[in-house]
Amino acid sequence: MGRETLEKLDAIRRGELSAVENVQQALELIKKQDKQVKAFIELNPHALAEAEAIDRKLKRGERVGKLAGLAIGVKSNINVTGLRATCASRTLENYVSTYDAEAIRRVRDAGGVIVGMNNMDEFACGSSGETSAFSPTDNPAAPGHIPGGSSSGGAAAVAAGMCDLCLASDTGGSIRNPASHCGVVGIRPTQGLVPGHGLIELAVSFDQIGPLAPDVYGAALMLETIAGHNPNECTTLDLSSVNYLDKLNIKIESIRVGTSPKFSELTDPAIIKVIDGAVEKLRDLGAEIVEVELPHLEKGLSAYYVIMSAEFFSATRKFDGRKYGRRIEEVCGDEVLRRIKCGEYISRKEQLGKYYQRALQVRTLLRREFEEALDRVDVIVGPTVPKLPHELGTKLSPAEMRAYDYLTSPISLAGTCAGVIKAGDVDGIPVGLQVQGKVLGEGTVLRVMHALEAVK
Amino acid sequence: MAEREKEIERSAEEIVESFVEAAKELPKLKETYYSQEAYNIVRPDGKPTPAKERAKFRKQFISNMPTSDDQGNLKVEVARWAEKR
Repeated sequence: MGRETLEKLDAIRRGELSAVENVQQALELIKKQDKQVKAFIELNPHALAEAEAIDRKLKRGERVGKLAGLAIGVKSNINVTGLRATCASRTLENYVSTYDAEAIRRVRDAGGVIVGMNNMDEFACGSSGETSAFSPTDNPAAPGHIPGGSSSGGAAAVAAGMCDLCLASDTGGSIRNPASHCGVVGIRPTQGLVPGHGLIELAVSFDQIGPLAPDVYGAALMLETIAGHNPNECTTLDLSSVNYLDKLNIKIESIRVGTSPKFSELTDPAIIKVIDGAVEKLRDLGAEIVEVELPHLEKGLSAYYVIMSAEFFSATRKFDGRKYGRRIEEVCGDEVLRRIKCGEYISRKEQLGKYYQRALQVRTLLRREFEEALDRVDVIVGPTVPKLPHELGTKLSPAEMRAYDYLTSPISLAGTCAGVIKAGDVDGIPVGLQVQGKVLGEGTVLRVMHALEAVK
Repeated sequence: MAEREKEIERSAEEIVESFVEAAKELPKLKETYYSQEAYNIVRPDGKPTPAKERAKFRKQFISNMPTSDDQGNLKVEVARWAEKR
């Protein structure tokens, strides 16, 4: 298990599979399956020409990057020159990017071939993949069910094999939630590890670009490619480079793995059963299982919504329909409008200090609790999403929809990292284990996930 | 205000107020603001972008404008009171 990406890369490097053949296969699968799945909003018309350029380099024996010839999908809120960055909204439906985001520049430098722009929840406001203005996305791993969101298209594309890797973004769980529902691997990096330049923001203090992949190797490879300091960006951490792949195979015998009883209080028992099975596997692999306290975990969600809405309201003021696009309030869907209204309400009443300022205090509380828990262990494992994905088109109240973010938003408040890997399934629907790490603890998170992947 | 907008505004207020209720018993701590590693970054002088690329960028940028004049200038919104005069 889990050797898909490495085997494909080796085949391309050895000349058994050309980059053109690989990209062609991806495009054919998209053509065949995407009428049903709706994982892509737009395809890159230059993808085959870009793959040809990689093949020419390989033939001449020139240096190629670590993603050489892989087919990459990109969430539609990341700028790629010449392709539309729509945020799956009517507001930006005709907006063609004029520049590459820093993460895209790094992917291109590494030889990744961008095949298209992935569908998503409108402006990343959603946890189901149903709020896209263009079409909801289906879940290839559990057809007829939501794929999760907001990075719905990326997770669905990887699950269906329509591309090798995807670049997505995570604010309160937008990589981890769809990774769990679609049975793929996803990483939310530590705040500031990956440059955010070129990402159309939802909430700037939470947004992180990260990978979706079919296996842990693929996620580690993509993260290595895009991570590291950007001298033109004051919010990236001062790290010149990172290395995860070399350490993936180190055994986890000395690792201390935390679990919290809070998780089972908030989660469907059928999901907990699968998660408990994964924890036992980690114990069998030699990890020491330790119970940790996260006393206010359930308070994270409402604090997250206050901070996110205030930042989203501020971020959307530029979508006034003058320089580009259309005025957001006139064309957006219900969930985007709800978050704008939340932000507007907070901004109007904030002089009392009981909304945004108070939420920032709760952020401190959650941050401290995770710091204390992670002082005792190397990672904390638990469920990613508290309930199974609903059937597409089911009407949920805003509160029921928000409940999908219960277990992912606390890590966003804490500013640390987390990865998701399939732990098993409930009646054929994938269930993801969330492995939550320390600040810049991605290497350990990936090692734990890799060990688990190897025994599946 | 349309019924849809009123309904959404009501649910938005509920979401925000439910946070106030949820946070009532929690300790008052120092706020965690958005952190950044370095301030006032000055980008290093690089080579100027080649004229061909600049022209391409301008063309792409203008193509995104909803309204522009024939010289490629952005046409801004005219105030409603001015239109009536």
